[in-house]
Amino acid sequence: MTFPTIDSLSEGLMQAGYFADRRLATAVFLALRLQRPLLLEGEPGVGKTELAKALSTALNRELLRLQCYDGLEQREALYEWNYAAQLLHMRAAEAAGAVRDIEAEVYQPHYLIRRPLLQALQTPAPGAVLLIDEVDRADEPFEAFLLEYLGEYQVSIPELGTVRAVVPPVTILTSNRTRELNDAVKRRCLYHWLDYPERERELAIVRAQVPEAGEKLSAQVAAFVARLRDAPFVNAFQRAPGIAESVEWARALIALDTVELDPEVVVDTAGILFKQRDDVAALTHELASDLLKPEEPVAP
Amino acid sequence: MAGIQQLGDVRSGKLAGNITAFGRALRRAGVRTDAMRIALAAEAATLVGVESRLDLSAAMEAVMISREQDRMVFRELFDAWFRDPELANKLLAQMLPSAEGKAEPSKRRPRVREALTAPRDPARPAAVAKPDKEVEFDAAMTSSDRQRLQHADFNALGASEYRLVERLARDVTLPIPSLPSRRLRAANDAGSQHARMHWPGVLHEAARTGGEILRLPKLSRREQPLPLLVLVDVSGSMERYARLLLAFLHASTRRAGRRDVFAFGTRLTDLTPAFRLADTDAMLAAAGLAIDDFAGGTRLGSSLAELRHANARRLTGRRTLVLVISDGLDTGEPALLENELLWLKRHSRRLLWLNPLLRFEGYAPLARGASVLHRHADAMLAVHNLSALEQLASSLAALMRSGR
Repeated sequence: MTFPTIDSLSEGLMQAGYFADRRLATAVFLALRLQRPLLLEGEPGVGKTELAKALSTALNRELLRLQCYDGLEQREALYEWNYAAQLLHMRAAEAAGAVRDIEAEVYQPHYLIRRPLLQALQTPAPGAVLLIDEVDRADEPFEAFLLEYLGEYQVSIPELGTVRAVVPPVTILTSNRTRELNDAVKRRCLYHWLDYPERERELAIVRAQVPEAGEKLSAQVAAFVARLRDAPFVNAFQRAPGIAESVEWARALIALDTVELDPEVVVDTAGILFKQRDDVAALTHELASDLLKPEEPVAP
Repeated sequence: MAGIQQLGDVRSGKLAGNITAFGRALRRAGVRTDAMRIALAAEAATLVGVESRLDLSAAMEAVMISREQDRMVFRELFDAWFRDPELANKLLAQMLPSAEGKAEPSKRRPRVREALTAPRDPARPAAVAKPDKEVEFDAAMTSSDRQRLQHADFNALGASEYRLVERLARDVTLPIPSLPSRRLRAANDAGSQHARMHWPGVLHEAARTGGEILRLPKLSRREQPLPLLVLVDVSGSMERYARLLLAFLHASTRRAGRRDVFAFGTRLTDLTPAFRLADTDAMLAAAGLAIDDFAGGTRLGSSLAELRHANARRLTGRRTLVLVISDGLDTGEPALLENELLWLKRHSRRLLWLNPLLRFEGYAPLARGASVLHRHADAMLAVHNLSALEQLASSLAALMRSGR
């Protein structure tokens, strides 16, 4: 599947259940055309990981995911030799008395355990979508290791030589910005900051993900969450709810047979919108009823 | 189709020239853009076309910036550069000296404004738009005649100040000291103090060598940066320092782990949410909104009491490194200050007093508040100029090494 224009790409993503705004669609379009990795940054829950999933559906390519964490090593990301199998082979060879060329026999591709990064290089056409998730969690040596990979889409395995990508994988890196990434990594990537969605887009997402919520409740949820994120309330909370939370909230409201939001039910379900005790406590009855008041028409 | 006329035809090469000039303007505004990105931007522009300004802006943004904090500067500059008729007027005004003086209030950030008004053509004599003067950090810290720096309002930084702060933060990173945490990781140095056996590693090694154990992999505790608690005095006597120090701290402790920041004057203001913003300008604007007692008096004692009542849990297990930035000219009750400082000291790893008044030779902490601070702080350090800031980093490291 290829998308010749930004519009067709948006359309394709939408069919995969992802509503991308125009700027994001443009960035993804460029990443595909320029064959560059795309670095997505943004608050948790704004749909960074979801984009990679949707892309894999839309492009009809396999999704390979590497979850990063502190201490992640090359052998968990790229490849590892299957030592046990190699040992067995050596013992068997010894027993049979055929120890010639044992080294060449043992370092064969089929003793290689392929991890996501290597798999992504070796996926046959149309290639893979590679998600390197939360790259900010990995440490700096790992970032340095990524440089060759992201720049050339190739890695070298000392025993086998250089492995080049059959088809360069569509690569998405995500970061919650727990730390600043290395400039060298950033230079190899296109960049997009994923914001909280506009209300229209959020409404579309809630509608698509929780169709049973009905028009009125969906609209109320989208409006409430949007107002919650806006100043001046924003400083009262440590972490604003993301799209994932609004969707989860809508589902919970359905489970509670809610037809319409009222301050009572908002306060009762605040634990779904917020993941921090202080934030749950900060959403008081007054604030909830304040936020639920019909809005004044916005001046154009 | 207005966009096409202004941007020029792709084939004629005018677009590429425009993008290059735009890249240079971005750099003037403090956004890191190199030649590779500019070349990529030209390629991106041909891919998305110039019919839609939004698409073009999104494409160039994806290629040319790589930090969230640069996004708004990029967009404002893009708007100004590629369409805004205001810009055309401004450029016209620059060429006609008689048209000066019509100062229109601009909503743009000072950084963007400066980037736009900087000379576009290096060949042009400097009389039309004067080049940025290099602002020394010292100048900000003495009673400078530059009005811009004396305005200790929490406004945005100008482009030159911004570059200065960025440079300072790069050159003088505050190495937040670290301590061994509870978590373990594979040790490079097996003889290290807390090393213990790494059994899975042992088996792994053994498998590699056919059952022979040639090396004993070990685990040791990993290092974790200390949480940081910063208390900044924003009273009248500190107003010249507070803004630039906040900007500097914001930039230089970006890589620190946990970071809590409070401003105190007559009362305590939590600036931690503001410090979470990535852009230094946005941080200053948010801080300016949050602080409503700026340039008032100092009541350090009662501010610390407020900190203890409301935020004691932010001081975790005597690990926190506390920086008090103040000139010690306190108008509150010394006895209260003494009590609160004792409490704070008991609950922190180190309590450091950063005092800008140390720039005066022969300064002695004689004022009531200053003498209390002097008695209880673990150290008093200067922060009034660049070399003092550099020393701060090394003294910090030395202090952490010395036992309490």
